Amino acid sequence: MAAKDSPLKQFEIDPISNIELGGYNISFTNSSLAMLTTVLVITLFLTLTVNTRSIIPSRMQLISELMYNFIAQLLSDTVGDNGKRYFPFVFSLFMFVLIGNMVGMVPYQFTFTSHIIVTFALAAVVFIGVTILGFINHGIKFFAFFYIPGVPFYMHPLLIPIEVISYLSRPISLSVRLFANMLAGHTLLKVFAGFVVSMPFFTGVFPLAFIVALTGLEILIAFLQAYVFAILTCLYINDAYHLH
Amino acid sequence: MPQLNPEFFVSQLFWLAVFFTFLFVFLWRVSLPRIATVLEKRQNKIDENLSSAKELQEQSMVIEKKINDQINKAKLETDKKIKETINALQEDVSSQLSSLDKDLEKKVSDAEKEILKSKDDQMKNINDEIVNITKLTVGKITDIELSDNELNKVIETHKGIFN
Repeated sequence: MAAKDSPLKQFEIDPISNIELGGYNISFTNSSLAMLTTVLVITLFLTLTVNTRSIIPSRMQLISELMYNFIAQLLSDTVGDNGKRYFPFVFSLFMFVLIGNMVGMVPYQFTFTSHIIVTFALAAVVFIGVTILGFINHGIKFFAFFYIPGVPFYMHPLLIPIEVISYLSRPISLSVRLFANMLAGHTLLKVFAGFVVSMPFFTGVFPLAFIVALTGLEILIAFLQAYVFAILTCLYINDAYHLH
Repeated sequence: MPQLNPEFFVSQLFWLAVFFTFLFVFLWRVSLPRIATVLEKRQNKIDENLSSAKELQEQSMVIEKKINDQINKAKLETDKKIKETINALQEDVSSQLSSLDKDLEKKVSDAEKEILKSKDDQMKNINDEIVNITKLTVGKITDIELSDNELNKVIETHKGIFN
């Protein structure tokens, strides 16, 4: 499937400038460019819209405030007062994934969230951070997280390994969910875009109409996946405070 | 699948770390405090307005109470003044009536006195007339010249008959 117009070709990484550091290839690629675009969009938007700091907000300032309140509400609903400390991190994560997905929706733009290595790195940061947090809060008692109270004792040999596996699979499920959604959506769009070109006469308008509808769906999914990523992070943080 | 090609894994992780760290630090230190300040400022303003509205309401209630008090006071004062005026007028009228009564009484008594006086005068004149008539009659009948004194004496003795 390495043909010229393969639907997976859009995920290929092209170096823009080749950089090497300590024997590692850290070339600035189209993926890096998309990340840079994302970071610039977020920082510029959140800085410029709130620049006037007006008590009666402009529409743009209102959007920034809505995002702020959205994540703040999410954190206080799931974690409570303890969650305030992690607000900057969860907010950054949400915005990074959300705008990364949205930048990917722009035609000919690269979608870095469709790369498992990126989503896995983000999920791993969450996973490692939450695990460290759990040990800081509960010490060795954090292992009680895998012990489910109120279950017959002979079930524990079965349940404890299940709990451990489900805990360890958190970063995988978190990263694969986002990666697979982005991969599938963009692949589907590309496949139907191919139909638009290859179908005879005017029948190409049908896949085109489908693409339009699918684009709307993809924008929804882009938001939804960022939301899911953020809310699961919140839930994991909550678990690190309240074991069960 | 290009996602599984490890050629650019390190590059992607490196740039992800760089950009995400930058984003996190920037939002944490610059953007989020700004939005938080604005939200806080707005909440303060709302609280301030609410409390000042409450204060104004309390003030207006105090003023309303004052106004009501003053209205009541004014009503009482007017009532009092009306009563006072009525009393004064009544006193005035009664005093004027009594002074009129006095005047009338005086006038009546004066008139009575005058009547009495004129009656006396008339009586006196009648006496004189009687004296003259008697004198003339007696003179014509008898040729006796009666002196006034004698006649008067006679008339005095018979006066009881006229009165």
